[in-house]
Amino acid sequence: MNTTVAFILAAAALAGLAIAPLFLNAYGIGLLVGMTGYVVLASAWAMFSGPTRYVSLATVAFFGIGAYTVAVLSETLPYPLVLLCACAIGLTVALIVGLSTLRLAGIYFVIFTFGLAELIRQLVTWYEVNVTGTLGRYIFLPFEGIHIYWQLLALAAATLLLSWWINRSRLGLALRAVGDDEVVAAHAGINVSRAKLMLFALSATIITLVGAIQAPRWVYVEPAIVFNPTISFLTLIMALLGGATRLWGPALGAIPLFLLFEWLSANFPNYFSIILGVFFIGIVFFLPQGVLAKIEGLRRPARKAPPENKERSGAA
Amino acid sequence: MSSHLQITHLRKRFGGLVAVKDVSFDVADGEVVGLLGPNGSGKTTVLNMISGALLPTAGEITLRGVRISRLRPDRIARHGVARTFQLVRPLPSLTVAENVLVSLAFGRFKHWGPDARDLAEEKLAFVGLGGRGGENVANLTYIDQKRMELARALASEPALLLLDEWLAGLTPSELQIGIDLVRRLQSAGMSVLLVEHIMDAVRALCARCVVMNAGEIIAHGPTETVLKDPGVVAAYLGDGHA
Repeated sequence: MNTTVAFILAAAALAGLAIAPLFLNAYGIGLLVGMTGYVVLASAWAMFSGPTRYVSLATVAFFGIGAYTVAVLSETLPYPLVLLCACAIGLTVALIVGLSTLRLAGIYFVIFTFGLAELIRQLVTWYEVNVTGTLGRYIFLPFEGIHIYWQLLALAAATLLLSWWINRSRLGLALRAVGDDEVVAAHAGINVSRAKLMLFALSATIITLVGAIQAPRWVYVEPAIVFNPTISFLTLIMALLGGATRLWGPALGAIPLFLLFEWLSANFPNYFSIILGVFFIGIVFFLPQGVLAKIEGLRRPARKAPPENKERSGAA
Repeated sequence: MSSHLQITHLRKRFGGLVAVKDVSFDVADGEVVGLLGPNGSGKTTVLNMISGALLPTAGEITLRGVRISRLRPDRIARHGVARTFQLVRPLPSLTVAENVLVSLAFGRFKHWGPDARDLAEEKLAFVGLGGRGGENVANLTYIDQKRMELARALASEPALLLLDEWLAGLTPSELQIGIDLVRRLQSAGMSVLLVEHIMDAVRALCARCVVMNAGEIIAHGPTETVLKDPGVVAAYLGDGHA
């Protein structure tokens, strides 16, 4: 029954959000596009990184792949096919990267994913300069902000629905077990590599789609714009602020932080990076479990929080 | 009795150190076999090779005629091998029932849904944690975490249970509860390989024992005979007892 009520509320909210831009000016719609984009990015990031605790900085690698696919193909293929191609490329890259790196643990995975984003940016730059002879590309698609917003809103709804479904499925349980202790998970019969790979690929494909859908907004794209590592860091910090293991956590982190950063970059463009860094440190220090867990902790002070970094000594 | 678990010429080398030299023994269907030896003798390494946590350097392990050596741990688990860990390893972000559900959902029979919830409760009741499935594992006492780990191992309906010093660190009264639990498994026909240091438990539970020292089997046979073997006494208990 609770689930039914929650679904009705979510559907009503979705309908409200869908008609909201009809009452807004271009700037308001722009804000909605950016906000919804980050809601999807943070939710998709948390889909994999939340339960498994593999911190990925590859967000912008896939986001950029999506955007570049649209830039390259938008004049030769119909738009739905372009999106499909972007998905296929994102998925393929994610599977290759996943197969080769998901054995890496902890900090090595973080560094690898960060390096991957840079590698792809450099490869695209090299290709454009040496093969096509241009660095930037123009995207002429007949989309206005509102069309992009609606696509992103649909993707946001699909992403949250998918996260909800995974959380209740065997796969969700497997991922939480893997996040706690891979050795125990494997000995309980979980194919650890496959579970991680599936979720990494799914998350990366959604992130690729965000890049593809948002690409027409820029009109002109070049590697430095669509492979900007700040996108990876913002996604991470938003998901962490809200709580990466909760369904609504990443969305709740993305909305206020997007608005805050928007305001900061408009008013203090020179100090933006410094303030972002301070925020990052503050969130990791004071809200490692995210805002939602903090609120729950305040409501139920008696309940002991689970120990986060339980010692994991291997069987000798 | 048919041979259930068969280990032949098992060997494990870590760089220059040969941890397990040439180990062969078997566990019959429904038998509880003790695997003994001083610290560092290679017992846990053998257990880790059976469960797939480590790859053998050489040798074979078969379960009911199926070769399981060189398979991944999750494949071995689905073939019917379950284990507990020397240092108890609960999954801290999952509830007690969810810890057990993991094995039900991914073990040999893939239970899921309300049916799996009932089975989890059944396994928890068996180990003495009935009605406590909703609790946070961090709130469990040490013995209750061990009980939960046993319930998690049993939930996959294993053909062979590996207990790695499962009785270590318990108070005398808890130890009795632990021995009784294993004995109930024994009467239910479970095959168990028991790595243990506590001699009272070994005497109470195992008709047959394998004793290792420095990576090799130094004695093998009925528990009482093996424990009186002068070589075993010297290796296991030290010179003071020899």
